[in-house]
Amino acid sequence: MTKNDDIYDVMVIGAGFAGMAAALFASAQGLKVVQTGATGGIDFSTGFIDLMGVHPIAEGKRWKNPWSAIEAVVQDCPNHPYGLLSCDEIFESVALFTRFLAEQGLEYIGHTDRNTCSLTPAGTIKRTYRVPKTAWNGSVALGKKAPTLIVDFYGLKGFSGVQLVETQKHHWPELKTVRIQFPSGRGELYPEHMAWALADPAVQEKMIAAIMPHAVDVEYIGFPAVLGLNDPQKVVDHLAALSGKKIFEIPTMPPSIAGPRLRAVFDRGLPAQGVRTHSQKLVTSVKELDSGMFEFSVGTGAAMLPVVAKKAILATGRFFGKGLRAERKKLVEPVFDLPVVQPETREQWHEQDFFAPQGHPVNSAGIEVDERLRPIGQSGRPAYDNLYAAGAILAHHDWMRMKCGAGLAIATAYKAVKELTR
Amino acid sequence: MKSFQTRVLILGGGATGTGLARDLALRGVSCLLAERRDINAGASGGNHGLLHSGARYVASDMEAAVECREEGAILKAVAPQCIEDTGGLFVAVEGDDEQYVADFEGMCKKSLIPARQLDLGEARELEPLLSEKLISAYAVEDGAVDPFMLSLDNMAHAMTHGAQSIRNAKVVGFSMGDGRIQRALFLDETSGESFEVEADLIVNATGAWAGLIAALAGAEIHILYSSGSLLVTQDRLTKRVINRLRKASDSDILVPGGTVSVLGTTSVTIDSPDDCRPTVAETDQIIEDAQAMIPVLATTRYIRAYAGVRPLVLSGESGDARSVSRGFSLIDHARDNVDNFITITGGKLTTYRLMAEKTADMVCRKLGVKAPCLTRTESLPASTMGRWTEPGLAPKSWVRNRDEDDLILCECEMVSRNSIDSIIENMPGMRGNSMLKAIGMRSRVGKGPCQGGFCGLRITGHLYDQGHVSEAQGLMELKTFVGRRWRGFSPVLWGLPMVQADLQEALYCGALDMELDHNTDDFTCEDDE
Amino acid sequence: MIFFDIGLTLALTICVIGIVYRVARWNGEWTSRKPQLSSGFLLWIGRAVKSLILDVVLLARSGRTSFLRWLAHSLVFFGFMGLLLFHAMDETVTATFFPFYESTLDPWQFLRNLFGAMTLVGLVLMVYRRVHSTKLRLLTHFQDWAALLILGCIILSGFFLEASKIMSPAVFDRMTDEYFVPGEVGDLTALKAYWAHEYGVVFSVEYPMDEETLELGASLDEDSCVDCHANTATAFVSRPLATVLTPVAFALNTSRADQVFWYFHVIFCFIALAALPFGKFFHPVSTPINLVVRQGRRDDLEGFQPSAVCRSVGMDACTRCGECSLHCSVAPAFTVLGNQNILPSEKLASLKQFQTGELISQAGLTAFSEGSRICTECLRCTDICPAGINLQDLWIASKARITKLAPSPNDLLRNKTATQRARVFDDLCKSSSILPAVTGLADDSASYWACVQCTTCTSVCPVVAVCEDPSRDLDLLPQQIMNLLRMGLKEETLGARMVWSCTTCYKCQEHCPQNIRVADVLYELRNTVAARVRDGGASCEGNGESL
Repeated sequence: MTKNDDIYDVMVIGAGFAGMAAALFASAQGLKVVQTGATGGIDFSTGFIDLMGVHPIAEGKRWKNPWSAIEAVVQDCPNHPYGLLSCDEIFESVALFTRFLAEQGLEYIGHTDRNTCSLTPAGTIKRTYRVPKTAWNGSVALGKKAPTLIVDFYGLKGFSGVQLVETQKHHWPELKTVRIQFPSGRGELYPEHMAWALADPAVQEKMIAAIMPHAVDVEYIGFPAVLGLNDPQKVVDHLAALSGKKIFEIPTMPPSIAGPRLRAVFDRGLPAQGVRTHSQKLVTSVKELDSGMFEFSVGTGAAMLPVVAKKAILATGRFFGKGLRAERKKLVEPVFDLPVVQPETREQWHEQDFFAPQGHPVNSAGIEVDERLRPIGQSGRPAYDNLYAAGAILAHHDWMRMKCGAGLAIATAYKAVKELTR
Repeated sequence: MKSFQTRVLILGGGATGTGLARDLALRGVSCLLAERRDINAGASGGNHGLLHSGARYVASDMEAAVECREEGAILKAVAPQCIEDTGGLFVAVEGDDEQYVADFEGMCKKSLIPARQLDLGEARELEPLLSEKLISAYAVEDGAVDPFMLSLDNMAHAMTHGAQSIRNAKVVGFSMGDGRIQRALFLDETSGESFEVEADLIVNATGAWAGLIAALAGAEIHILYSSGSLLVTQDRLTKRVINRLRKASDSDILVPGGTVSVLGTTSVTIDSPDDCRPTVAETDQIIEDAQAMIPVLATTRYIRAYAGVRPLVLSGESGDARSVSRGFSLIDHARDNVDNFITITGGKLTTYRLMAEKTADMVCRKLGVKAPCLTRTESLPASTMGRWTEPGLAPKSWVRNRDEDDLILCECEMVSRNSIDSIIENMPGMRGNSMLKAIGMRSRVGKGPCQGGFCGLRITGHLYDQGHVSEAQGLMELKTFVGRRWRGFSPVLWGLPMVQADLQEALYCGALDMELDHNTDDFTCEDDE
Repeated sequence: MIFFDIGLTLALTICVIGIVYRVARWNGEWTSRKPQLSSGFLLWIGRAVKSLILDVVLLARSGRTSFLRWLAHSLVFFGFMGLLLFHAMDETVTATFFPFYESTLDPWQFLRNLFGAMTLVGLVLMVYRRVHSTKLRLLTHFQDWAALLILGCIILSGFFLEASKIMSPAVFDRMTDEYFVPGEVGDLTALKAYWAHEYGVVFSVEYPMDEETLELGASLDEDSCVDCHANTATAFVSRPLATVLTPVAFALNTSRADQVFWYFHVIFCFIALAALPFGKFFHPVSTPINLVVRQGRRDDLEGFQPSAVCRSVGMDACTRCGECSLHCSVAPAFTVLGNQNILPSEKLASLKQFQTGELISQAGLTAFSEGSRICTECLRCTDICPAGINLQDLWIASKARITKLAPSPNDLLRNKTATQRARVFDDLCKSSSILPAVTGLADDSASYWACVQCTTCTSVCPVVAVCEDPSRDLDLLPQQIMNLLRMGLKEETLGARMVWSCTTCYKCQEHCPQNIRVADVLYELRNTVAARVRDGGASCEGNGESL
């Protein structure tokens, strides 16, 4: 009778990259989609879209061409989730995803068959597939080692221009830095608040005025990613016009502004496509109805509501996303209680060295799926005919070390939707 | 090669070494303390932080029990800043040895250790988390001691009386001659520099490493390495120290320390003191064993584990670590034909002062110095160096003396930039390498739930800003720091800490690529336009 | 008809006086925020017409909340308007437009039944909705049920009136006495037989139903009656009702049930008319006015400053449907605190009382003042309101006056500087032996176990966002408060301005990836101090500053 009692075609469980992508792709197919998920991976994203960067991880071998890397990883680890997709499908999924972002005003740039280098807030350099347009000039400046000024702010913790200059000084001698007072507000500063303040052209002007004396001999100016929340490109363009320099952003430590920007795009874009979103709510239980449909309980207490869907995509992520739960003796999947492929004992979960090149075995644990991305149940066959899994929850990959997080999430979500509509 | 001279060279910066430095300095004997890593890097930093009332040893070692009682009282009087006089309970639960319980009070009396029987209701009112299956409870005079503050205060006080100290100084050999050690040779492992020290007398206070160091001088000590792991809970679970009223065994003791509680310990014999690290198996064992005493230990959030290695000096060839005396060994290596070399090892944190006193007595005897020991009565002044290790001090000080621009760099323990700057200012002799680790040791940084995940990055940025680190050094230090925290973090990774660890790895590896080697040409990215 | 005239006059008088009284109070003290920007008159008219059609006639705003609600409302609205115009006001409306109007002719007879049935179905749906929805049940009030009951009684009594008339021989007799001249003996019998057979009249005697008689009856009916009487079969509710009542027809007919039901019907109508200006009954008047005047704008975003009258109309337009409370972002606080004034629909009722000076009890004022403070200005209530009320504007515009007339302990504390507050707390702590040991969420360390130190709570905090220097203006930021509490340093947090500046918007709590109840904790801290000030304040008098 009320909206909540409607039957949906698809329930997307999760609001990280995979969940957002699944909701996007499914609604684009004309399906009636409902989505749940608490603040997930997407809020903690650096904003980069990694596709594939390192393989084999034990050797720390970096790849300039992500497609060759994917080919190599599928060759060496046939179980890797990329093995379930063709390169065309992966390409198509990322293209659709970034096109949606662009339509919503968050443009991404990158090469077709080459990873792009980008500075991280630690001063390291990371290879990634797509960077936000506002960060692109940073990659260009880095490639050319162009005369560049990094601006940082009193009060913004964990972002040190000196650190970037020091770590890069042998490779990029013409990188320099200046720390200024933030033009609006002082004391302890947080990216989201700074971004709101910087949406104001007057604040931008004030800031540029403070920077210009230090920027006489540079071609580029890099900022921590605080240049506006909803329309960063407009801020970047205005700063460029004011300064006559090329402007770029460098991600900050989480929670950075990159995550909220992505989330805002989906908060705007998905409901417009007809997706019913129950944000900030977790699925607390699920039961299979006689009809084969799922009935989910979403949220807790007074705010709990039932959601009925014909099919579901499990995109709940790993431990931080609550897709996997580590008990003292074993790993479990809390929503459907699916079997989790995992090392035998907790002793084998982690290596003794945090930065162990081969990575921690627990990171390859996860949900096993069939070739149609349906989670395998206790019997060895798909647990349900109408349940699909996507994203980091899948077993046999280490997205953190392989640098395939966002790409894998988007591509498997694409595949799951494709299989689900078949 | 740089060369230093001193009258007494103390090897090892644990409680004994720093206590000895202070004892000697107060007697007017100049000394230099050389520590391989940093203050309390060994067992002095890897224990419960329990100031024993002595009641734990009444059955096994009456001498140790009496020593603990006396030394406990002295420390409470002379170093109150390092001690929280919590009081303690001994409790037995259903299934525990009732004969031991019955004998306990009598044994305490024999050692003059105050123990008052509580009725069970009273005990559970005092400590509501105690098991409902309690069968007996006694109140004793246990306390909690901050070993870091203790050693730092000792060192600071020693330094005001002329003592010196060097960190990152690993003994790599002795040059021997005339039946004595002529010079000690050192290597700074962080910088790769070597140096040597000439001294009249050398004291080996390296704890578990004492046997290895003695061997460098051709002397022989048989030491059993008994590794003990401990767990730190996120909250302080009890007001008092809680001991299991039974024959000394694993997972017997829960000690409150400021805002947390420490649970342990185990006893695992290892081959080398360098192998000491807490393990998953020990963690599980501790929790499974201790929950009989305090059930919430099965479900509470743990922050980390850590381990220390007990040096148990073998008199005979006995296998079981717990049956070997916890009393200390003071060895004059004249017996090994090395005239100016003394080893002090074994013992307990509670009796460190006594150990230092006895050692200093021997040193003075050998040097012909006639000065009485002052540490029994002279107050140990609180130092600026040691003060930041107190849990809760940093936030209180920050809240009360707000400087508008003082940012919190470590959120978990609320250590502000000013506190960190003050720590750096107060370690002039220790500036240079491994700053982040040194800050971590001298404060609560990295000790909270995030285990260095966020604070490490923020403080590294600050160290760069202040010019304390340059080039890639800060990043390397950060990796070392996080790696070091990981030793204690990895054994407790289930439940919420697993979530934390997932986030931490996503940050360091997923986002920052810090596990990769960044010194290769691959990272110049010159092919990109 | 004296009864009718007196009744009508009385009801109308009450109604008119009530409306005048109510409209006269369409004013009040409000805080104005911005100068009013006038929009073009033509534009205004355009939007008003649009709003009239969409929101008033088609009930579009109700449609956005729930289909069931829209359906029920539309049925009642169109059904009742039909009855009102074509039935109750037939002499003035229907007869004017349709010269040959007779209420017993079709389509009027049919339409009357149709309108009545629509209204009745709508009412049933409304009752079902109130009984079925647990959330709504919490909000359902006497007035809601009273309105449903009165309306239901009007419709039911109407149907019964019509049914009893259909079966009544007395009514038939009156008609034949006046309009039927029998030509032959037996004509009347034939007509009676025909009417009993076709029209459902239940005579006390049975008339022959042979074909011949009926044929004669039919032709007589054709000659004399059909000009004024359509076949009652088109009264598709009343006629079956009459059939159902046939077994008791004799009793009904002899007791002149048609007259009894007429009285009932008329009395209920008068009650409804008289009740119109009161409470929820007024919404059929005020809500359309409000919808047309305000046109669903987000006033403050469009530079429009509502006048006091606009705001009063808005308050009057509330039907207490409860949609706002169902959508309110701080509704969770209500489940925790139990103060109804947190919910917009209830807050609005209290605000109305407050603005008109009816809210006088101290306890009521305190609860209202406290509840009114808990609002995040998220605009959800305004956006959802089916009556188009700009609730958020009302909250903001009433704030200053509430603070002035009903200050809460929180305000008293808030007006002090951090140092002054610290002194008050110190004094209180000295006498803390008399204070109740408060143990709640904030004291339970498990509340913070899940914290991963990501600082999201501070990042999303709108209070922090608007501070020029958060650490200076708020003393402590949300995650710092959580960390101090985690470390057991609760006393350090109580005086922090953040605790007092929190708008309980719940953004922190909603965005926390670990579901830590940040906002609940902050709110509890505030209550802790307020309780201390209340309980400990007396003993602290003369001991430093009194509050």
